[in-house]
Amino acid sequence: MSAYNCFSDNFNKETFLSAIDARIKLVVVLVLIIMVLSYKGVMFPLSVAAFSLLLCLSMRVPVRVVALRAAQPLFIAAVILVLKTFFSGQEILFSLNLFGIGLSAHADGFMEGIQITSRIIGGVSLVVALGFATPFIEFVAALSWLKVPKAFIEIMMFAYRYLFLFLDDAHTIYNAQKNRLGYVGLRKGLHSFGVLTGSLVLRGFEQSQKTADAMVQRGYTGDMPILKGEPFRTAELAGAALIMIAGGITWMI
Amino acid sequence: MYSIVLVFIVLLVLPGSVFAMHISEGILPLNWAVLWFVLALPFVAAGIKRMKDLSKNDLSFKPLIGLMAAVVFVISLMPIPVPTAGTCSHPGGTAIPAILVGPFISVLITAVALLIQALFFAHGGLSTWGADIVSMGVVGAFTGYGIFKFLRRCNAGLGVSAFCAGLLSDWAIYLTTSVELASGIRGSEPFLPLLGKIVIAFVPTQLPLGIVEGAMTAGMVTLLYRRRADLLVKLGVIKQEQAGGTL
Repeated sequence: MSAYNCFSDNFNKETFLSAIDARIKLVVVLVLIIMVLSYKGVMFPLSVAAFSLLLCLSMRVPVRVVALRAAQPLFIAAVILVLKTFFSGQEILFSLNLFGIGLSAHADGFMEGIQITSRIIGGVSLVVALGFATPFIEFVAALSWLKVPKAFIEIMMFAYRYLFLFLDDAHTIYNAQKNRLGYVGLRKGLHSFGVLTGSLVLRGFEQSQKTADAMVQRGYTGDMPILKGEPFRTAELAGAALIMIAGGITWMI
Repeated sequence: MYSIVLVFIVLLVLPGSVFAMHISEGILPLNWAVLWFVLALPFVAAGIKRMKDLSKNDLSFKPLIGLMAAVVFVISLMPIPVPTAGTCSHPGGTAIPAILVGPFISVLITAVALLIQALFFAHGGLSTWGADIVSMGVVGAFTGYGIFKFLRRCNAGLGVSAFCAGLLSDWAIYLTTSVELASGIRGSEPFLPLLGKIVIAFVPTQLPLGIVEGAMTAGMVTLLYRRRADLLVKLGVIKQEQAGGTL
């Protein structure tokens, strides 16, 4: 599956979650992340993960895509779990002999590792669900409402507008190089990779000039309009409050 | 020593894809996440100010920075096979904008790319955004920029300077991320031994990846020099009299 195909914004946004105000979704996710990070246990983060996974499935996001998205954080989580289990703690859980090396797993280290792993799973699942449920342009409007500097938002909008173009370009150049044996051997591979990167940067420069010219012709004076948020809907505010209160109660239990 | 060997073996047998040392959502406890945010903010603010200053008289500057952010985003998604680890890994790509547009704007570019990656690709995270900006943006950009400028002053070639900038920038990111990870997950454990284990744990991917990052940065600068030396002159990477000469 190509990077483009598993990009969150590429999925159907016509769901009940996408209709909810992005500002509310963002605030709820940030509050829940704070709760996940400050929780001393595993139940709350795992409950949040289960809730987020259900939301993703309800949005008909393929399970494979959710799994692919979580692969990198889970890899890091696995490394941390191994490190904490075998190299942290005092209370020996079991011992084993691996390639002639004696090694002990520690119960307290394992528990610490599990806690961090659950935090990762909880946090990642929240952000993944937010990504699938929020169109980029609405997310940008939410950032603007949160008083993120306009210059930052403008750069983000430019970047988002063109990254799909560059993903396609990179894919095309890479395939062309591969077909001409550009990645046979280390030396050739490194050279091809350098050329690929250079070509993308060059394309970035040229495209930025064309974009600026086209924008100036359409009246661009250095500022871009940003979507303004509508007034909050009472039902959405009540729903958000309910989720945060339920989260708070689970957090305290 | 045995534990070091074992961590190495574990990394060799773990399958999967390793990303450019992004710290995932949830790894850092709240206090550390906030601290890294506080450290990152002044650099992002400085980057925004510098960009505003430069874009006052040049309407094409903001689009250029935005498109550079898109390029960095794409570069950091490129899968690179790492034979020593049996995995795919991804470069950081922060040395490239640092060399071309300076370290402060590079921090801004990295922050934008990281936020989009965190939100729509689950690389990095919202709570670890500050830590990722500090390692990949601040440390990566300033190391790459500093090494490049230093070597150019020592009359090193453009390609060699760019290679070293990419290589050392990647390794600096790797070390900073290890410090961030060790401080965030250590719990009751002493800091330095854990840091050592984390550094060793990522050696199989990060050492070769640094070389790839160096080659990539050198390839990029060399290609620009050959095809559009005027751009390098405009951005202040080389002087007018150096354009058209040998590398």
